[in-house]
Amino acid sequence: MNNQLDEIPGLAERIYRGMSSVIAWAVYAFLFGPTIIVMLVSFSGAKGLSFPPSEFSLQLYRIFFNSPQWTGTLVQSAIVAILSATLAVSIGTLAAYALSRAHFVGRDILKAILLAPILIPSVVTALGLYLYFSWLHLSGTTAGLVLAHSMYVTPFVIITVSAGLQQINPNLEAAATVMGAGTATILHRLVLPLLAPSILAGALFAFLMSFDEVIIAWFLVGPSTKTLPVQMFSSIQWEISPILAAVSTLLSLLSLLICLAALAFRNAGGLTVLSKSSGTD
Amino acid sequence: MKAQLPPRSAIFCLAPILALMALVFLFPILLMFETSLYRDGLSFDAYFALLTSVLFRRVLLTTLQIAMLSSALAVALAYPVAAHLARQPPQRRALLLTLVLLPLWTSILVKSYAFTVLLGHGGLLNEMLRAFGLPEVQLLFNRTGVVIGIIHYLIPFAVFPILTNLLAQDQKLKHAAKVMGSGPFLIFARITFPLSLPGVLASFVMAIVLSFGMLVTPALLGGRQDIMIANLIDFYTRESLNWPMASAIAVVLLIASGLFITVLSRLQQQTDASA
Repeated sequence: MNNQLDEIPGLAERIYRGMSSVIAWAVYAFLFGPTIIVMLVSFSGAKGLSFPPSEFSLQLYRIFFNSPQWTGTLVQSAIVAILSATLAVSIGTLAAYALSRAHFVGRDILKAILLAPILIPSVVTALGLYLYFSWLHLSGTTAGLVLAHSMYVTPFVIITVSAGLQQINPNLEAAATVMGAGTATILHRLVLPLLAPSILAGALFAFLMSFDEVIIAWFLVGPSTKTLPVQMFSSIQWEISPILAAVSTLLSLLSLLICLAALAFRNAGGLTVLSKSSGTD
Repeated sequence: MKAQLPPRSAIFCLAPILALMALVFLFPILLMFETSLYRDGLSFDAYFALLTSVLFRRVLLTTLQIAMLSSALAVALAYPVAAHLARQPPQRRALLLTLVLLPLWTSILVKSYAFTVLLGHGGLLNEMLRAFGLPEVQLLFNRTGVVIGIIHYLIPFAVFPILTNLLAQDQKLKHAAKVMGSGPFLIFARITFPLSLPGVLASFVMAIVLSFGMLVTPALLGGRQDIMIANLIDFYTRESLNWPMASAIAVVLLIASGLFITVLSRLQQQTDASA
């Protein structure tokens, strides 16, 4: 559709576009402003937060990395997130493969059930797990938290990997089957290499979700298994220490880094020549 | 020719997820139901206690008020963003979408903390107002603080259903209206906006579901009067150790969310069918 009227916006059109762009950018600013201001403020030193910072200082970061209370929870969060992401990626990738390539009765219902942990409020899951783990005597253990977080992040892995699987032409697997390859060989030699970008993206998101997760962890951790978000949550509630600005900045940078990396992987995956749209030959 | 996974391989691939979901999701939820219904045998005591609890009724009302207000405002603010994104050429849109996605992946603690730094008594906003000789504003530890925090959390989620709808709209209608001499404001009011109502509704319902379960934001940005359902569950679980009560409230929250999610998926099916 090529309409001349499109190309020369009139005055009313320009006012309309201008106004709605201004509103949209104001909302973008509202979304980003607070986080960016906290990042800037985190360099203002331990005497007190000020904006704009009167001097550039890394003092808050030094205090953070020198206090065992914070570094301990940082390490704990990293351990939990790495283990949960690993478990979630292994389980989620297999599940996504079966859901996209097998046809059986009740598949759509199963998909809906598997995605339920995303939709249900975390506090409900957290309470269920709290009761369950105290019954199993797993309260306050790292193992319990890893299991809980794996359950929580696996749906996201399934979504990410399923999107990747849609890009792979199933005829390739059919051809491999005709040539005599079994499911294990097909997975190992054909599907997993092609899926690698989506799996990596899914792993990064799973890591980040577990690392940032606060509600389930709040219910499940004990004094010795506290994660960084739990430490941060109780810390903001009791005293607003300026160190939190440094912690916030580190967490925001982690999110930014992981988002950019995941996007890069996904774009690399999108360029795969063997995508469904181009792969009829 | 369709690739068909042999049944034995399918079972092998699905077994781990089924085990994980059964053991770490379904079983705990069932245990929560049981806890809410058990006091020396089957008992509805916890639910009767809820019905008569003034605290529960007050918190439920607060939750509904906050959820409705924040969701409405979040959708109103998400709409211009979705409209702006829909107008962009695809490459620029992908870039701007990252701006919407990034806050989605930022920890809710970081966002809430940022607002305590900005809006508090000694916060940056009040310092600025003082510098100009203006009176201080109380935006933290009250309803306003919670609503601002929740809106901030909801906007990125609320953008997507509206954006999907706007992108699916038939551009020919707008062209026809333009050819007939309608200005952009009239086109928006008569065509774009009415057509986008299913997307707006879907986005509103999604926002309601998400705001029902908020725990961190009311705890950090609200006062005593702004406790929401999730905070009450937390209180009964960890402070007063009344697990049947906590479980009964969680069951209510679960069922309410379930109803809204059903409505939401119906709405999405309708939108898909009409698109």
